[in-house]
Amino acid sequence: MAVSETVAAAHPATTPTQPAPGRKRRGRNASYWLYLLPGAVLFILVIGAPLVGTGYLSLTKWSGVGDPTWVGLDNYQQLLHDEVFWASFRNTVAMLIAMVVVPTLLGLVLASVLFDIIGRRFRPRTAAALRAAFYLPQVLPVVVAGIVWGWILRPDGAFNSLLDAVGLGALRHDWLGDPDTALPAVMAVMIWVQIGYPVVVFMAALQRVDPELYEAAEVDGANWVHRFRAITLPQIRPETFVVALTCTIAALKVFGPIFALTRGGPENATNVPSYFAYYTFFKKLQVGYGSAISTVLTLIIVVVAVLFIWMQYRSERRDRGI
Amino acid sequence: MQRFRRIVAALALAATATTTMAACGGGDSGDDSGAKTLKLWHYESANSAMGVAWDRSIEIFKAEHPGVEVRFERKAFEQIQQNAGMIINSSEGPDVMEYNKGNATAGLLSSQSLLTDLSAEADKRGWAGKLSPSLQTTARYSDKGVMGSGNWFGVPNYGEYVTVYYNKDLFQQHGIKVPTTMAEMTSAMDTFVGKGVTPLGMAGAEYPAGQLFYQLALAKADRQFVDNYQLYKNPVDFKADPLKSGAETFADWVKKGYVAKDSASLKAEDMGTAFIGGKTPMIVSGSWWYGRFKAEMKANWDTFLFPGNTLQAGSSGNLWVVPATSKAKGLAYDFIDITLRPEIQDLIGNNGGVPVAADPAKISDPKDRKLIEDFNTVSKQDGLAFYPDWPVPGYYDVLVSGFQGLINGSKSPDQVLDSIAKPYADGVKEITGK
Repeated sequence: MAVSETVAAAHPATTPTQPAPGRKRRGRNASYWLYLLPGAVLFILVIGAPLVGTGYLSLTKWSGVGDPTWVGLDNYQQLLHDEVFWASFRNTVAMLIAMVVVPTLLGLVLASVLFDIIGRRFRPRTAAALRAAFYLPQVLPVVVAGIVWGWILRPDGAFNSLLDAVGLGALRHDWLGDPDTALPAVMAVMIWVQIGYPVVVFMAALQRVDPELYEAAEVDGANWVHRFRAITLPQIRPETFVVALTCTIAALKVFGPIFALTRGGPENATNVPSYFAYYTFFKKLQVGYGSAISTVLTLIIVVVAVLFIWMQYRSERRDRGI
Repeated sequence: MQRFRRIVAALALAATATTTMAACGGGDSGDDSGAKTLKLWHYESANSAMGVAWDRSIEIFKAEHPGVEVRFERKAFEQIQQNAGMIINSSEGPDVMEYNKGNATAGLLSSQSLLTDLSAEADKRGWAGKLSPSLQTTARYSDKGVMGSGNWFGVPNYGEYVTVYYNKDLFQQHGIKVPTTMAEMTSAMDTFVGKGVTPLGMAGAEYPAGQLFYQLALAKADRQFVDNYQLYKNPVDFKADPLKSGAETFADWVKKGYVAKDSASLKAEDMGTAFIGGKTPMIVSGSWWYGRFKAEMKANWDTFLFPGNTLQAGSSGNLWVVPATSKAKGLAYDFIDITLRPEIQDLIGNNGGVPVAADPAKISDPKDRKLIEDFNTVSKQDGLAFYPDWPVPGYYDVLVSGFQGLINGSKSPDQVLDSIAKPYADGVKEITGK
C-alpha cells in the first residue's frame, strides 16, 4: 500500500481532458470482459455443456445408443438404496485420509525439516534434491505408478520377497487380493503418490517467510517444535488451505490408481465413486445411472470446495482484522 | 472477492463430469452399386492369425475389384468397444467393421437399427451353411438385441474356445499322464500338489476364474441350461446344479491347493507369463493364447479339452458387421465373402488361429491342426456354451468380484452364488422386461 501511494505521488494529477476516474474504471472493466471471452467460451463448451448434459442424462434411462427415456429422479432414488454406491463413498473417506490428511500433515513436517534443518545444516542443494525425490511420484503417470505398485504388491512381488529376505516370510500376503488388506495397501500407495505435492508447495511457502522471524525465535531460545508451531504453521496457512482443497478434490474424484491397481475389487473393497460411475456408464451401459453418480460426485466436490474457500476467506479476513 | 471468483472458476474446472453425446448422421445409403471406396476397420494386430488373413483378404478384394480403393484403418479394441454407437451413427463410419459379438454390443446396435440385416446375403452367399448352429448364435439377434435367434447382423469367420494348456516337460518330470477324464485330472493335480507344485495357474482379478467356474459348471450342464442362462429361455436357479456344483468344486479346488489361495489379485497376463515361464503345469484358458505360447514358450507344451465336458466355454470370434449408414454395402458383402473362402480360412489356421470353415488336412503344423480339430469337435457336437459373463452388461466384474472372494476364502460358495445371482436377475430384467 505504501509503495502505490509513493508511485501515485510521483505521478500526480490526471489532465482535464482525461475521463473521470469512475468512467475510466468502468471502461477498463468492460475491456477486461473481452479477455475473459475465449476462456468463457471454452468453459461453456468443455465444462458447462457436458455438465448440463450429464445432469440431463442423469434423469433418463439410456444405454448409450438410441433415444434416452425420461425417468425423472428414479436414478437418484435407486442410488439411495445402492449398497455399492455407499460402499464407494465409505472408501472415499479412506482416500481422504490417504490423500489429504496424511500427506498434508506429513508434508508440513517434511517441508519444515527440509527447510529449517536440512537446508540450514547442509547445502540448500541437498534440501532441493530431497524435495525432488519426494516429488518424483507426482511426475510419474499415475497408471504407470499403479502398474508398478501392482507388481510390487502381487503375491510373488517385491514386497513379499522383501519380507522373506528380512525373515518375516510368515507375513507374506496377497495384499491386493484380500478385502481386508486391499484398501490399506491402496491407501499406502496413494500416500506415496501424494506426499511430494504438499512438500513442494510448503517449501515454496516457507521461502517467503521472513528469516528474521526464525532467527529471532532462535535467539529467544525456541526449539524446532516451538518454531514449527509459532512461525511455520501460521505463516503458511494460505498454502495449507490450497493444498487441503486440491488434495480433497483429487481424493473425491480419484480414478486412475484404482483402475490400475484393483478395478475397485476385491468385492468392492477399493471401489470409489469415480470408478463406480465409469463401470456403470461404460460396462453396464447404464448411462443415466452413471450420470447420476457423476452428478452427485460433482455436487459434493463443489460443496466441499466452496466450504473450503469460504473458510479460507474468513481466515484471511480474520488475519487482516476485518 | 475477485480471488474468490477466480478460485470458484478454477473449481468448476476441477469438477469433472462425463457425458456421451450421440453424433447425428445416417441417412439412406441408396444404390451403392457404383461405390468406388470401401472403408474397412478392424482391430486385429498385424502379426496375429486374423491380421495376416485380413491383409490377404484385402489383397484379393483389390485384385477382384479394380478401381475400388480400400481405405483400411486399424483400430484399438477398446476404441471400437466404447465408441461404436457414435461412430456408426455418423457419416464418418466404415462400410464394414469388425465388432464385438454379444447382446451388449452387436445386439444393442442391431436393436437400434444401426446395423444392416445380412440375412438375405447369408442365404444367397451360403454363409449360413458354413457356420454350425452354435456359431450362428452370435451372428443372429432378435429385435430386442438378444442373440441366438432372429436376423443376421454379423458374420463370424473364426472361433475361440477354452481348453487346457499343459506343460509337457513338467508332466514328464513328475511322471504324470495327460488326463482324459475328470478323475484323472484330479489325480494329476493331487500328484502335483504332493510334490509342492500348484497345478493350475489362476488369475482372480480377471476372466480366468469365471471361466474355470463355468467349465466346472458345464460338466453338469446341458444345452437347455446354456439356453436358459445365455438366451433367457427360462429362469436360472443359481442355488441348483450346474452353477452350485461349479462354485462348490471351485472352492474345493482352492481348498485342495489345485488353485493358489493367493492368486486373487493376479491378472490373466500374470497367469499366462507364469505358464510361459514354466512355473505352472496347467492353465484353463482360451485359444487366444495359442499363438503367443507358440511364439514365446521354450518348454514343450500342448492342449487337451477340459476332461469330461461336452460343453465348453467358447463361441465364434468377433463379427464383421455392416453399419446401416454404409455407402458401399455390396462391396462390404464381397469382402466378408472373401474372408470365408477356404484360402483365407486355411491362412487363419496356419497362423495359429481357429478358422470356422477350414479343412484340417490343409493345416501343416500338427499342433495347429489339433487345436482346430478340437474346435471342430466341440462345434459339431453343438458344444460351444459361450462365456459366463455374456448374459448381462457389466457381469464380467460381478464374476471377477465373486470368485476373488472364493479364492481368498472371504466368501463361501453359497455367498458367491448369491452375489452373482442378483446382478444376473437384474440384468435379465433390464433386457427382457421380465
